[in-house]
Amino acid sequence: MVDIALGTALAAIGAGIAVGFAGLGSGLGQGMAAAGSVGAVAEDPDMFAQGILFTALPETQAIYGFLIAILLMVFGGILGGETALPVEVGLVAIGAGAAIGFAGLGSGMGQGMAATSSVGAVVENPDMFSQGILFTALPETQAIYGFLIAILLMVFGGILGA
Amino acid sequence: MADSISAIVTSMGFSSIESFIGLLLLAGFIIGAIVVIVTIKPVFEMFPYAYPNARVRARIGRLITQKQFSEILESENLEEVKNYLRGFPEYSKYVDKYPLEKALDIQLAETHDLIARIAPGGIKDVFRVLLKKWDINNIKTLITAKEAGLNPEKTAELLIPFGEISDVVEKLVEVKSVTEVIIGLEGTEYSQILEDALTDYEEKGMVLPLEAALDKFYLENLLKAVSDPSDANTTLLHPYIGTQVDASNLKIILRAKADGLKYDDISPYMISKGYQIRDWKLKDLMESEDVSGVISALEGTDYSAIMVDALAEYNKTGSIAPFEAALSEYIQKTAKTLSLKKPFGIGPMIGFLSRKEVEIKNLKVIVRGKRESGFPVSVIKEMLV
Repeated sequence: MVDIALGTALAAIGAGIAVGFAGLGSGLGQGMAAAGSVGAVAEDPDMFAQGILFTALPETQAIYGFLIAILLMVFGGILGGETALPVEVGLVAIGAGAAIGFAGLGSGMGQGMAATSSVGAVVENPDMFSQGILFTALPETQAIYGFLIAILLMVFGGILGA
Repeated sequence: MADSISAIVTSMGFSSIESFIGLLLLAGFIIGAIVVIVTIKPVFEMFPYAYPNARVRARIGRLITQKQFSEILESENLEEVKNYLRGFPEYSKYVDKYPLEKALDIQLAETHDLIARIAPGGIKDVFRVLLKKWDINNIKTLITAKEAGLNPEKTAELLIPFGEISDVVEKLVEVKSVTEVIIGLEGTEYSQILEDALTDYEEKGMVLPLEAALDKFYLENLLKAVSDPSDANTTLLHPYIGTQVDASNLKIILRAKADGLKYDDISPYMISKGYQIRDWKLKDLMESEDVSGVISALEGTDYSAIMVDALAEYNKTGSIAPFEAALSEYIQKTAKTLSLKKPFGIGPMIGFLSRKEVEIKNLKVIVRGKRESGFPVSVIKEMLV
């Protein structure tokens, strides 16, 4: 059995939370946007490109979560390292994972709803495209806040560049 | 740092930092689960509507605009109307295949069929009932055609090739009488209700009891489909369907009172459990002496204000058409209000269906107007909803 320090195990939980919750939000949002886009393309095949674009937008939350999870695993000593994190740093890692995980969950679902609505608006009136993109991009900010805080926690919590 | 954390943990009564972390993780897991469930629940309600709403909104975008209606109105004749409609994918496939009015009906039937197919589980049943309208219309056409003595070819031309029993209906064009039509429908859900109304038809010598029985069956089924709402979306369907039932009851009562009919003549055609007009109110309305009595008895419902406005016009002309127009407008307004309530749910579907029905109604008015050469555009315009 691999011997893992408690701090490193906590970092692993942080990584799971980061990618798990962010992926959940992103998946739900993207699923909704994809369902809407399929409906739009069924009525108007020219909507394919716009549909793909709106469906791709809620992907970013999963990428942020994935990135934080990878960083936690690399600098937490799970991937390719002998680092054994102290318990308190492990708790910081959970905080970092929760920051992007929950922010990504809300942001991904919100963006998915906005994207679904925008696809509907664009297929109804093609002039709505730029407004749709703008409205859909807005819920991205919450994920960016979560990502930023996760990075700051990792930097100043002793995980990155410690 | 680690020592101070350990000291805090020990002072809290935990034997080790591991047990404290264990409890912390458990609490975190419970909080996380609650957050996820609370956040996801509304999304799961919206999910089934994403696909159908996108399709519906695409079709909303292709509805005929006011400007386009004005252009159609300026057409010189039916051929120009046809040419104009060829520019719309929904109509182009039918206008050259069928007479114009039939093409419009087929387009509406196709719309009902599409909605019934793409509507998510919870509301599918309601739209399936809505589709029965085409079976009922076809049966009514058959009955009227047989009563008028139309030949099978002429009768077949009038049928709309949509509905659950369209194959049965098509076979019945060959029969000779109304009674044979009813016998031919044996095994369908319409058989019994028509048999029940047959005696009335034979006594009165008119098809009205048969048609009224079919209409009643249709609206009662619609009401039944929305009577047990399972979520916020199905709940929203009740006022939409209920308002249509109220309007249907009111139209029958007003027509009957204008013709001087009494309670006993009207009551067999009434549909109970409407939306605003409950059974006791319906009784009051049927017992009213005349049309103005009916309007007075509507006090306390939303229909009162709109009907009072139409009463002046009725007093001038003696026609109940202003009441019917006011009720149609009210249904349309109700649909519009409801369509804005659930933009991620059933709203767009209700809004689209209502607007599509109005579009077809208006196109039919234009087609009928253009059929009469020299019929003034201003008069057609006034007749549009």
